Amino acid sequence: MSKRYTLSELLIIAVAREIHDYENVVLGVGLPPTAGALAKALHAPNCVLMLESGVMDFEPLLQANHIADVMSFQGFSYSTDLFSAFTMTYRGFVDVCFLGVAQVDRFGNLNTTVIGDYAKPDLRLPGSGGAADFMSYAKKTVLTMRSGEFVKKLDYLTSPGYLEGGDSRDRSGRFPKGSGPSILLSTKGIFKFDPETKEMYLAQIHPGIQLADIQKDIPWELKIADNLVETEPPNDEEINFIRKFAPGESVGHSLMIELALKNIMGKIESRKQTKD
Amino acid sequence: MSKAIEKVTTAQEAISRLVQDGDHLIIGNYTLGACAELVFETVRQAKKNLTLYSQSGIFDVEVMVAAGLVDRLVSTYVLRSGGKSGGSAVERALKAGTLEMEDYTNFNYNARLTAGMHGFSFSPVFEGVMSTDLFKVRGFMGDDKYKVIDCPFTGKETLMVPAANPDVCIVHVQRADKYGNAQYWGAMGSVQAAALASKRIIVSCEEIVDHEVIRSSPHHTIIPAFRTDAVVEIPWCAHPTEVVGHYNLDKFAYGMFQMAAATEDGLKGWMDEWVYGCQDRAAYIDHYVEVFGNGSLDDLKAKPYYSAPANYGSAYTSAWDENGRERTMGVTLDELETIMEERGLFYE
Repeated sequence: MSKRYTLSELLIIAVAREIHDYENVVLGVGLPPTAGALAKALHAPNCVLMLESGVMDFEPLLQANHIADVMSFQGFSYSTDLFSAFTMTYRGFVDVCFLGVAQVDRFGNLNTTVIGDYAKPDLRLPGSGGAADFMSYAKKTVLTMRSGEFVKKLDYLTSPGYLEGGDSRDRSGRFPKGSGPSILLSTKGIFKFDPETKEMYLAQIHPGIQLADIQKDIPWELKIADNLVETEPPNDEEINFIRKFAPGESVGHSLMIELALKNIMGKIESRKQTKD
Repeated sequence: MSKAIEKVTTAQEAISRLVQDGDHLIIGNYTLGACAELVFETVRQAKKNLTLYSQSGIFDVEVMVAAGLVDRLVSTYVLRSGGKSGGSAVERALKAGTLEMEDYTNFNYNARLTAGMHGFSFSPVFEGVMSTDLFKVRGFMGDDKYKVIDCPFTGKETLMVPAANPDVCIVHVQRADKYGNAQYWGAMGSVQAAALASKRIIVSCEEIVDHEVIRSSPHHTIIPAFRTDAVVEIPWCAHPTEVVGHYNLDKFAYGMFQMAAATEDGLKGWMDEWVYGCQDRAAYIDHYVEVFGNGSLDDLKAKPYYSAPANYGSAYTSAWDENGRERTMGVTLDELETIMEERGLFYE
């Protein structure tokens, strides 16, 4: 019986398994840096981790606070600028990039800009950042989804997936042949894209999740792999790594904040008592 | 996918494997720190039909042209030895009709590499050169040397140069690690653009250093490991030119070269002695010491003038403090796991 794990840990570990040794990997914000750290430490020691801020080839020691967190490791091999990080991607030197999803459609196109009307938004999200550029030119893109939604039509197309499906991405002549989203990992399952139609289908389902739990989130008739398999549960080594490296990811944001507040209040309280 | 992880090899092996007849070959260095030994090895291996790129030709271009390796030369400046009464290998080859040349300005040449480095197919440059024969006189590139378009934003006539993406760059730097992270400082010239624009990169360095040296000074890295194909440690590689922090320009040896290069026979004699007559850089240096004595080299050795180290430090490198408590939440791992259990966070 292996160690018990949280949904967030399961997702991060599934993401880390998409990083292979010797790959050049661009990590976005959120959980990818933690997944990158795990891959580098456990199964892909020669992968080159990259941040679009121009930081290349590092070994993470702490959970990254943001996309330019050079203080979450000690030193790195190559310090370039953001412009060059993107032109390097265009020239084919990035094997895989990881992007978070707010809205995704059936062909893997992403919206991370706005929910509702652009000028008068219901929810104004961050925007593209590097997402549109990386998803255009990385050899492949891995999508991660913690709280995003599947929609029939995006409110705003921020980053190009397979456009209208079929060969429309390749046919546009604007993207490297064969590029595009290869996989989408959510807290419920793992989705892939049909090689012909480029429509998303369910390839793996996480342990304990019912098919209906997934289907209720998806506003179209989701295709399901003939050989739908259960996601391999994380092993102890992977779980222990995440918990030690990024305990905040393990417990989740709200519990982390709760414990942090308790910790800081405790410190203030004990300071008062020593003064008295 | 990254390339093979450890790339340390010899000049002989690197040139043999990575430079092909007919290649567009670029000399990455500019005026100082020449990759002389990589040039000499290319000459010894008699690679043929090269298109040679050099920001500013010095003895390196002379030697390659004199050896008959180069069909076409793209440059902005070529060496001439001995003034009006002297000559150069480039001039002799042009006269003999064995060499074609395309002249650019320094800026326009560099712009071609910068475009190539960044994956653009062309780059805008400034228009003044349109009033010169650099623009009007076309060599082997013909119409493709320069083109003019209307700027889509201002409508103004705008001059364009095509990107350059040479097949292989040979370049010398101060230091590199065995993985191919190459560090260079001093006059930056177009060294980085020349390397990164190219499809293959051969790095020679004064010294191979531990990866930790690179990791603690990433701002000096001009070529990241995943772009480098071969790393060769060659002390004194750039002699008779200088390498900042290692040795000065050897004015005497350079003068001897220039005297020789003024005539075809002179240059042939110099190359027989210093290029063909020495199987590698160690043999070249041995020969130098044999002829001029050790003192001549000692006089050139640089006395250190170190740049101040850049501090890449942070307050801590673990999420857990010295008492095993998580820094933000203030609990130990055991306590944290108990809380996770109590809150029902565990899956299933």
